[in-house]
This record gives sequence, structure tokens and C-alpha cells, in this order.
Amino acid sequence: MGKEESPQITRRTTRSSSSVTVAKNGVETTKTSDSRPLTINELVFGENPIGLDDLLSSFPSRRAQILELVRLLGPSNSPMLPIFIYGGSSTGKTSIILQIFRHLNRPFVYSSCLTCYSPRILFESILNQLLLHRKNAANGYSSAKRCERPSDFVNSLREALSNVINNLKGNSGKSSTKNLVGRADGSMVYLIFDNLELVREWDKSATILPFLFNLFDVLKMPEVGLIFVSNTSPDTYYSSMGYMEPIPVHFPDYTEDAIRQILMKNQVNRKLYLSFLDVVLRPFCRITRRVDELSTALAPLFEKYCEPVSDSGVVPNEEMKRVLFSHLQPYIAPSLNEVFKVSSQPSPEVKTNSEIKQKGSRRKSGGCEEIDELDFHMSTSAKYLLISAFLASRNPATLDASLFDPMGGFDSRKRKRKPSQKSLEQKETVEQELLMKGPGTFPLERLLAIFQCITSIAEGSIDEEEQGDEGLEVQGGDGRLMSDVLLQLSSLCNANFIIKGGSCPLEGLIRYRSTVSEDMVMKVARSLKFPLSKYLYRR
Amino acid sequence: MGRESAAEEALKLIRSRLCDPSFVFRAFSDSPESNYSKLKFIISSSVTEACNNSILLLGPRGSGKIAVLELVLKDLLLEYADMISVIRLNGLLHRDDNCAFKEIARQLCVEHQLIFSKMASFDDNSQFMIAMLRECGLAHKTIIFVLDEFDLFAQGKQRVLYSLLDAMQSVTSQAVVIGVSCRLDADQLLEKRVRSRFSHRKLLFLPPSQGDIERLLEHIFSLPIDSTLPHDYAVEFNAKLQNMLADDKFKQTINTHMNSDASVNDLLRFLFRAVSYMDSGSGLLSLEYFKTALSNIQRQPKLECIKDCSVLELYVLVCMKRLEVKEKNSYNFNAVMKEYKSIHDSFMTSDYYAQNVCLRAFEHLLHRELICFTDNRAYNQSVEFRPVKLLISFHELHQGLKSYRSCPAILLKLMDREA
Repeated sequence: MGKEESPQITRRTTRSSSSVTVAKNGVETTKTSDSRPLTINELVFGENPIGLDDLLSSFPSRRAQILELVRLLGPSNSPMLPIFIYGGSSTGKTSIILQIFRHLNRPFVYSSCLTCYSPRILFESILNQLLLHRKNAANGYSSAKRCERPSDFVNSLREALSNVINNLKGNSGKSSTKNLVGRADGSMVYLIFDNLELVREWDKSATILPFLFNLFDVLKMPEVGLIFVSNTSPDTYYSSMGYMEPIPVHFPDYTEDAIRQILMKNQVNRKLYLSFLDVVLRPFCRITRRVDELSTALAPLFEKYCEPVSDSGVVPNEEMKRVLFSHLQPYIAPSLNEVFKVSSQPSPEVKTNSEIKQKGSRRKSGGCEEIDELDFHMSTSAKYLLISAFLASRNPATLDASLFDPMGGFDSRKRKRKPSQKSLEQKETVEQELLMKGPGTFPLERLLAIFQCITSIAEGSIDEEEQGDEGLEVQGGDGRLMSDVLLQLSSLCNANFIIKGGSCPLEGLIRYRSTVSEDMVMKVARSLKFPLSKYLYRR
Repeated sequence: MGRESAAEEALKLIRSRLCDPSFVFRAFSDSPESNYSKLKFIISSSVTEACNNSILLLGPRGSGKIAVLELVLKDLLLEYADMISVIRLNGLLHRDDNCAFKEIARQLCVEHQLIFSKMASFDDNSQFMIAMLRECGLAHKTIIFVLDEFDLFAQGKQRVLYSLLDAMQSVTSQAVVIGVSCRLDADQLLEKRVRSRFSHRKLLFLPPSQGDIERLLEHIFSLPIDSTLPHDYAVEFNAKLQNMLADDKFKQTINTHMNSDASVNDLLRFLFRAVSYMDSGSGLLSLEYFKTALSNIQRQPKLECIKDCSVLELYVLVCMKRLEVKEKNSYNFNAVMKEYKSIHDSFMTSDYYAQNVCLRAFEHLLHRELICFTDNRAYNQSVEFRPVKLLISFHELHQGLKSYRSCPAILLKLMDREA
């Protein structure tokens, strides 16, 4: 996988800081590179072109797609209709198209809508590349042209493209016999738009998407080829009406065999790895067929697998395979359930961290060194705040009085009555509702009230400085602690343990919601020796 | 010239023809009934008679409205070189009034070798346009405004349309406004003050007929005998082409494609794909290329997506489908997990994974857009609790499961039971 991603990275460095590339190529010394003027040849891939056979062999089971793309791009100097490449993540769309351009050695402009996250940045990055403009300290890291609107962009683009094309034509006319390395082939310029699916999320997607799809017709320049790369299929764009559909090329997800070939590529001891894959690949492929996820998931398992092997170059025989398998077997099932835990959704680091830590602590049985249950730092008041937020989210507000009332008489009466009245069906619907709604929201006042209650209860058992403060606050209404608690609350919000909801339409107050799981809160409560289950209302 | 290089030359020629709409639509320009002739007559008469005019070109996307218009303009510019200047606007780019006037001013300046000021205000630019219209009228010069994506100009205050059409009411001005739109009701979108100034002349662009298509194919594919291409090769190529065009199977292939989309541009895309398969060894077209192209261009994205799914993702999909069949009007990941557990409990499947693994599969499905959230923006809910819905039909899912290579039998059984 690492190898697959590398071309893209080289590409980026080629554009942003040529010194790195130059050092890599060893063509020039790094000192002169900064002053070296950019030429039109900067638009080609920048490394030695590769042959078609190398290209095909470096991407296992992508033969059909590569040949199809090469055919659609056609011989040099032949115009092309827009192409739309689509397929799931980590199926090699970007790297294949970039490597094809390396093979063809034709000039192209690559811009990803992931890094160019607004129309203006996208437009300016394309123009910068076409105008051979490099951001540096001398020009204050500014773009060659400032353009925000599609109309300005089209005018500048047309100008820049015709310049580049004239240059290319002049180039090929002058010295067609001297075939220099890095000389662009042909006079076509290709624009590649990667991660197109993200454009749909932009503010102005309703105008930008049809514009991009219509760019070929708007420009009316046959020397320009457009290539769109997207994660999602063309039918997910239909709602943004008003475009001509480009030619679709589909990259299907890799099959199990293809994944085996890809994973085998960079292995030292291929035989050993192959016997490892024979064991683990099938169950893992039932969960996911994404190469990036699989390679991260399999790496620690392979280490486990190799543990009994003393010599790394050994060729395993049947006997040894059996031994190794029996060594590995107990780890497979748990790792199937654990390995994908690293959250893929963009949640703040703290939460991910805590999840990883939790995973670590659960793995303790597997033989890791001793770690504390909760090994990220959290102040005591923050822990109480977390617990009270959890309680506020889970418990119905009407029961607060009975749960936290020190007398508790009211509580028992109510509890006795309830189950007798409730029919089973009602219970189910309530359960269903809970499943749907998730944790409830609560106003700040309720959170603070619960916080005061549980800290005053805990006061007896734990002697902490802030408990004293708490007492002060209750009596005298001292503002210091209040602000302290609010500060803690905001830091919990930043850590995504508590999220701020929209304001309630009736009351106009900001409402909060706790997102932590029950396990997590249980752990926090245990660290405080706080009797959480006593206060948690179970339906 | 060797056979291979000749074939490559031919391929380049055909590809450039396919990418050049004005070449393609030249095929239809000779008959007197064609839109080309009508449009040319209308515009040339308003140029020669020095009057104002306005036309709408309407037709589905890819029917060649702009291509025909460009052909007409090109011919007219040859005929009356110094009597016409063309201003081209596109609704996609110049929807904003400010932008549109700026662009008009810019193009007028380029046409008449004037200096364009970027700093000019909206008012300056509109004054400038009206002044230019008057000047051109006095000089008996017609300004042709081409408004592509006309319907987009009709959104908002329609100030551009109003000032253009209002300026044309005076005797001194001499301009033609040509609106191009794929909305057949484009003239109904106009405000009353704009509509009353509009001539309501409309030209409809229809999909090509059977005969048109045949003529088009011949027009595009036949190689010129008297060119740089070797004579023998061109003759052989054309003979093979005639053979193929007469073939019933070929006609059927083209018809199958035209049944799904009847516009000319779509046909061109299909032909482009077919031609790209042309082998430089033989250098001749064959029916096979067209058949391959047909199977490659008619895609079923949802079925492809299901084929890409892992087994666990299929489980999640089937669970969601079961929830929908049970008429749960809204459900979220937790409900799906409950269903997943119940399936596992009753059938003891081998694929039972922890919640976080399933959540990952669930997120993959979201990325594949096989499922989506029903509320588009819930700021403060985690993924587990947001209500979701399926984006594929029962039939598609069933079809997809059947064609899946190693689909667990239990899933098929569950789906069959629901059906």
C-alpha cells in the first residue's frame, strides 16, 4: 500500500518544493534548484517514464482499467472527451491515472478537491500550475492570479491554456529529434480533478459542479482533456442537474486474490507471508476489502505469526505451518473484532486516544504491561462533571428529585408502582425510542444541580480541595468555582465528551448532550469510587 | 507510411471529428428544413435589414443547439465580416448581474479595441453597453448576444435580460439576442416586463431520426480518399465501414444505445468509446468494438456497489432492508445492530462481529452512498443515533445478492423470505 500511495506524494512535492524532487532525482544540486526557472516541462510527471509492462505489473489485477484508460487517452495529440473515473476508496484510482501519465509522459495538471477545499483555492491552484507559478517567500506565498468566480477562472484558464499549448507546440516543433528526458510529449494538456465527490459538500456546489462538468463545452478547446476522479458513482451526481455525463470508467474493489497479490508485493519472506495470508485473509476479507485497512490490520498479526520463527528467511514447510497456525489461532478472532477500532470518522483526537487506550487495557490479558484503567489525565472535578453530564443525559429529568433527594422515600414508592403498571409493549416502544433518540439533552442548570448533588454526596468519602470550594460555593455563591466548572465544561466540550446542541426553540437556552459510552463512565466512576449504579435509572 | 501509422492517423482524425461538434453538425446543415438553415435565415435577415430580434433555441441537453448556432455564426462572420460582433455569455458563469455586465463590457472592449477597466462599476458597465449598442446601431453593425443556459439568467431579478431587451426597443440599436436553453418552458420563466419585450420566436431541436443517425455515422467515420492517408488504406477502411453500416447487428447495437439516450452528444460519447478500442494492427472498425463499448457505457452503479461490498456490509444492508419491510418508519445504527443480533441469535451465523467493526462497515456503506442519513445536518448526534435510510430498492439488493460471488446462503434465504 505504501508503494501505491507514493507516486501521489512525489507528485505533490514536485510541485510545492522542487528541491526535494531534485535531490531525489539527483539531476541538479539542491542549491541551484530554487533559482531554477520553471519550464513547461514541469507539467509532466517529473521522473523517468515507465513502460506499459512495468505499469501493468505494478498494479495487480488492474489490467483492464489501465488499458481502457490508455485507449481513451489515445495516441498523442488526439483530442479526448471528458472521462469520469470512479470506484471505492483505496482502489488505486489516483495512483493509476498519475502513473499512466508518467508512462505517457504528457503534461497534466493535478488538483485534488480534498486539499483545494473551496472553489477559489481550486481555481488558483490550477492556474498556478499552468502559469508555472511557485509560491515562495519572495512573492509572499500568494497565487499568480486571484480568482474567485467561475467567469474569471474561465477567462484566465483559457489564456493560460493557450499559452501552454503554444509553448508545447513550439517545443515539439523545435527539437523533435532530440528526445530529452522530461520533455513533454504532445501538445495536449490534461486537467485532473480528484476527490470530486467532496465538491457536493461545498457551499456553492449547485453552481460549481455543473460548471466543472460543463467545462469542456465552455472552454471549446480540443487540446484540453478533462479527467474527473470520484469515490462515488456517476448516479450520485444526478441531482445536481445540468451537465453532460462524461465517459465512465469503473474501478471495482479488489478481489481476495488481488489483495493477496498486493499485500505480497513488498514482503521480504514471501513464502512465509503467503502461508500467513492463507490463514488470515479470508476471514478479514469478509469484513472489509479495502487494502489500506487490511494492511494496517494484518501488520501486528504477522508479527505475532512470526514470533516462533527464529530465522526470518526460513521457508515454511507443512509441519511448520501447522505449528505457526496453532500459535496464531487464538489471536485471530479477537483481532477481527478489535482491529478496526481506530475510528475512521473525524472525531477529535482525545476521543480516539481514549478509545485506543481502552482497547489497550482490554488487551491486557494478551500479555501487555500493566496500564491504568484510565490513563489520560483528568481532574477530579472534570470527572464528576463527566459523570453528572452522563447522568443528566440518561436519566429522565422528572426523576432527578427522587434520585438525588437524600431522604429517598419518594423514590422507593415510585419504583414499586411502575413495573406493575407498565405493559410489556409499552416498555418495548420506550426501549425503541431510546435506541433511536440516543442520549438526551439537558440545560446547563440541570447539569450544575446534579454536579452539586453528587459532589456533596461524595464529600464525605473523599477529601479534596475543591470539595471545600464546592461547599463555599453552595453557601456563599462564590463566583470563582463557578467559572472553574464552566471552564472544565468547555474543555470537556472541546474533547467531544459533551457536545453543545442547538438552543431549545422554546426556552432559548443552549442544551448539552453527553456522548461518552457507559463503559467509559463506569471506569471514571470506579476511579473516583463513586457509586454510579445507584443513581442511574434503568428502564 | 506503414499500416500502423496510417491507422493511428485515422484514429486521430476520427477522434478529433468526434470532439468537434461543429464538424458533426455540419452533416445536418445542407437540408433547407434543418434548424441550421432556419436560424441562418433569421439572423442574416436581421443583420441585412438592420433590425432587432430575439430567438430562443430550445431542446434537450446534447441536441446540438450551441453547435448549430456556432456553425451559423461562423458562416455569417465569413459573409458579413465587419457587420457582426458576437458577445457570448453562459448562465453557469454569468448568472450574477454584476458579472454578466462586466463580461459584456469586457467582450465589447476586446471586439472594438477599447481599454477595459476592471474597476468599472455595475452602473458604468450597463451605461457603456447601452452606449455601445447605440454607436453600433449608428454604424450599422449588429451585436449578437448569445445567452447559453438561458433559464439561469431568468432566475432572480432578470436585470440583464431586461436591460438587454429594453435597449433593443429603441430604433437606433441593432442587436440580436439568442437564448439557448434545455428547458422547454424557458420563456414562461420570464417576468412580465421582460416577456413583453421578447419576440417569442422559438426553434425546437429534436433528437435525430433514424436516417439522420445513419448519415451522421457515415459522415463521421468515412476517411477522405484524397489526403495524407494512404489511398489503399482509406479505400479499404471505407469499404469495411459500408459493410458494417449495412449490417443489421450493427444497427441493432446503435438502436439499443439510442433507446437509453437519444441525444446526439450521447451518441458521440458512445462512438468515441467504441473508436478508442480500435486496434492499430488491423486499423479497421469492427462490430465488436461497438458491442464492448455498449456493455461498458451502460452501467448499473448500484449493482456494482453491491458487488464491491464485503460480506459484513451485506449483512448490514439486509438488516436495514428487513427493518424497512417491518415498516419501521425510521431507524438508526443501533436499531440495525439489534436486528443484526436477532438474525445471529436465530440462525447462529458465523459472521458475528463486535459493534465497532459493524460501525466501520456502516460507515463504508455511507461512503459508498448505498445508505444515507435522513436528516442532512445533525450537528450534535453521533453516527449511531442518526436515522438512516437505504438508497437501493428491494429488487436491486436482491439482484445484487444473487450476483455476488460468495454471498452467504442465509442472506439470500432471508431476502427470499421477505419477497
